[in-house]
Amino acid sequence: MARGRAKTLSGERSSAKEKSRGGKATPTTKTIRGSERNDSRLPESVLTRISDRLGMPVSQVSHIVETIGQAAEEAGDTDRIVEKYEGDKAALIQILLEIQRENRWLPRDVLMSVCKKLGVPIGRAYRIATFYKAFSLTPQGRHQVSVCMGTACHVRGAPRLLDRVIGALNINPGETSPDQKFTLETVNCLGCCALGPVIVVDGDYHGNPTPKEIERIVNSCN
Amino acid sequence: MARLRSAADLEKKRAQILSKRDPKKPCITLCSGTGCHALGSDKVYQAIVSELSRNGLKSKVDVRRTGCHGFCERGPIVVIFPAETCYLGVKPGDVPEVVSKVLMDGELVNRLLYKDASGETIKHEGEIPFYKHQRRIVFGNNRLIDPKNIDDYIALGGYSALAKVLFEMGPEEVLETVKRANLRGRGGGGFPAGVKWETTRNAPGDIKYVVVNADEGDPGAFMDRSLLEGNPHSVLEGLIIGAYAIGSHEGFVYVRQEYPLAVSNLTLALSQVREYGLLGKNILGSGFDFEVTVHRGAGAFVSGESSALMTAIEGVVGEPRPKYIRTAVSGIWERPTNLNNVETWANVPLIINRGADWFTSIGTDGSKGTKIFSLVGKVNNTGLVEVPMGVSLREIIYTIGGGIPRGKKFKAVQTGGPSGGCLPESLIDLPVDFDALTEAGSMMGSGGMIVMDEDTCMADVARYFTNFLADESCGKCIPCRAGLEQMVTILDRICRGEGEAGDIELLEELSEVVQDVSLCALGQTAPNPVLSTIRHFRDEYEAHIERKRCPAGVCKALISYYIDPNKCTACGICLRECPVEAISGGKNLVHIIDQEKCTKCNTCFEVCPTRFSAVVKSSGESVPAAPPLGAEVMRKKGKRE
Repeated sequence: MARGRAKTLSGERSSAKEKSRGGKATPTTKTIRGSERNDSRLPESVLTRISDRLGMPVSQVSHIVETIGQAAEEAGDTDRIVEKYEGDKAALIQILLEIQRENRWLPRDVLMSVCKKLGVPIGRAYRIATFYKAFSLTPQGRHQVSVCMGTACHVRGAPRLLDRVIGALNINPGETSPDQKFTLETVNCLGCCALGPVIVVDGDYHGNPTPKEIERIVNSCN
Repeated sequence: MARLRSAADLEKKRAQILSKRDPKKPCITLCSGTGCHALGSDKVYQAIVSELSRNGLKSKVDVRRTGCHGFCERGPIVVIFPAETCYLGVKPGDVPEVVSKVLMDGELVNRLLYKDASGETIKHEGEIPFYKHQRRIVFGNNRLIDPKNIDDYIALGGYSALAKVLFEMGPEEVLETVKRANLRGRGGGGFPAGVKWETTRNAPGDIKYVVVNADEGDPGAFMDRSLLEGNPHSVLEGLIIGAYAIGSHEGFVYVRQEYPLAVSNLTLALSQVREYGLLGKNILGSGFDFEVTVHRGAGAFVSGESSALMTAIEGVVGEPRPKYIRTAVSGIWERPTNLNNVETWANVPLIINRGADWFTSIGTDGSKGTKIFSLVGKVNNTGLVEVPMGVSLREIIYTIGGGIPRGKKFKAVQTGGPSGGCLPESLIDLPVDFDALTEAGSMMGSGGMIVMDEDTCMADVARYFTNFLADESCGKCIPCRAGLEQMVTILDRICRGEGEAGDIELLEELSEVVQDVSLCALGQTAPNPVLSTIRHFRDEYEAHIERKRCPAGVCKALISYYIDPNKCTACGICLRECPVEAISGGKNLVHIIDQEKCTKCNTCFEVCPTRFSAVVKSSGESVPAAPPLGAEVMRKKGKRE
């Protein structure tokens, strides 16, 4: 299933609508997908048409299409990851972690394909995906903003910092902005308590930024 | 690299490594732990490398990226050997000067040295007060070792304890030594490791497992992370020794995936020990086989509980299970499983090499050896501190930690993570060991130590921990799932100023039920933060409930900000910084906060220059009427009323 979807997306350059529906189970090999990877972009004219209809800038449409394409390609890679663990049922959490790391979220059809391969009920995958913090069942924004809510940061004013970040991004923790630009999350201790309260934007640490500094950091993200 | 096939091979290897190393050759070591990484140590490293090659010093000076040194407050830390000159807070811009003086004897970059209160500079790392009063037997090697290079560990005598047990000691003798050393579990419970090992050894079954618990979930604690990142071989050596004593041939390291550096350093360390023949089949030619698998935890606090962790290793959701039969007897896949914390395992090679008598000479009657604490919060020297058991809280917080910043008053210290408790100033001379902390209503936990000053609201802290635990409760037991929710609801309303008479008693009653009826340690200890804060800071709860006042000025609903017209100089800083434009005023006009618009974000209070201190935070009293709009400020020369 997952492989089929990859084929639909990168191979047949289908429209966004077809993409969201998933594809048929046409097996493809990695080489085909690999060689077609560069072709997965839609022609400029199509992008413009979509952008007109949806009323969003071309750059954003192209980013969304690219994200969907990548996600589908990664979905095709689930086989590789499952094989790495030799189809071991006990490795389900480890497999999902690898998919999450590469794909940054767990699409439903990917979960189904993994469970089918391992021969475990889909409910178990969902149970794991909702129990642990590492997993996301929705696509993530281009920029990851993490606010540390560890105890040390808390006593140094993390709740206030979080309020400021929520104000600057206009999204709540756990949410992704509608334009897919930011995902905001709270984490429990990043281990750099000396900087606290701290936020991490795409891997860069910022200790106790003022509202103006937060604005600057946010604006520097494209 | 050829496999080492005997103890003699290992010694030969060690001699070979040492013969290639010139102790007189300058070596720049740079802390690359998580704290220093956040402070930019990567860029400092790049600068060092390019500066060395620019000056043609690449062959004359070694560079080593080490694990965490512990003094996170002043990172990135650079220590230059052999003189052990310690530079703190090094920025890439400082590097050319640092490098230029490496080869010049006695010349120092004074501005980067530690300065004590009297302004006297201190050159050696070990003489800095933060380090001087510690005893770093477990953590000390971090600063000497590149965790990515097994040779660094071997050069310091690494794996000699393993060779000793494999060829000179029987499993029983190892077990006896660890028991006699009275090594207690560093992960929280403080259960004697030797006794646990023995239970697993004697449990029926051929297949037994040993596990490293590196699912360090306490917010504000990072000692296990730093140990695993900075010195993974010490943990592995301990684990292999434990496996030998217990009779296990398969081990797991359960490590949080949120610690990517720990995962990668550990994985690399494992491949190196396999290559050297220190892991796998026929270790060092002794006939003992042992393999280790890394299992990444996906982020759930409750999975740090031993039975939950074992369930997670089995590939299902990591929820605790009843322990009518101990996990030491029936753990992973119902086989005898011995689980110890990272720091516990790292103590094992030391005990083997230096003997149980040496180990028991450190510490108190009931708690032997040292403990690493992560000293964080409102303290001057944030960092990792290793001290002998029995040292007082005062010594840790003041002598090593340098006291409370900005001259504020100490209020409490929270130990033991979310399951621990808050200890007030009256207990500051308490000797820190397993039993004394438990007696005082807190616990050792994994060693988090969060210092709180007068600006910390204890009801808010209790709410924070309870909220954290309610969030992390797996939901299996009703008292934990529903009880903690109700406790959060009550604490929430207290912090909102809507607390009712009887709320404190209700919290106590709920706590008792949650403690008594929960299955695992998460639920059983979850009420500790609430109970300990009520026990020691009841007056703060009462102030919230009866007088609608937050004495520390933290609870948003109970505080307001206004500007003292007599102090305001109309400098415009607060006006510019206010994110919601709630402040009006102008040149020479007193600034006024619109109470309706104010979101109490504290920005004005923070940015108002201390020499004016015109912004006032008040709680429990009404805000004085603002001066009429357009009132002019009183200039310095003007008379103050």
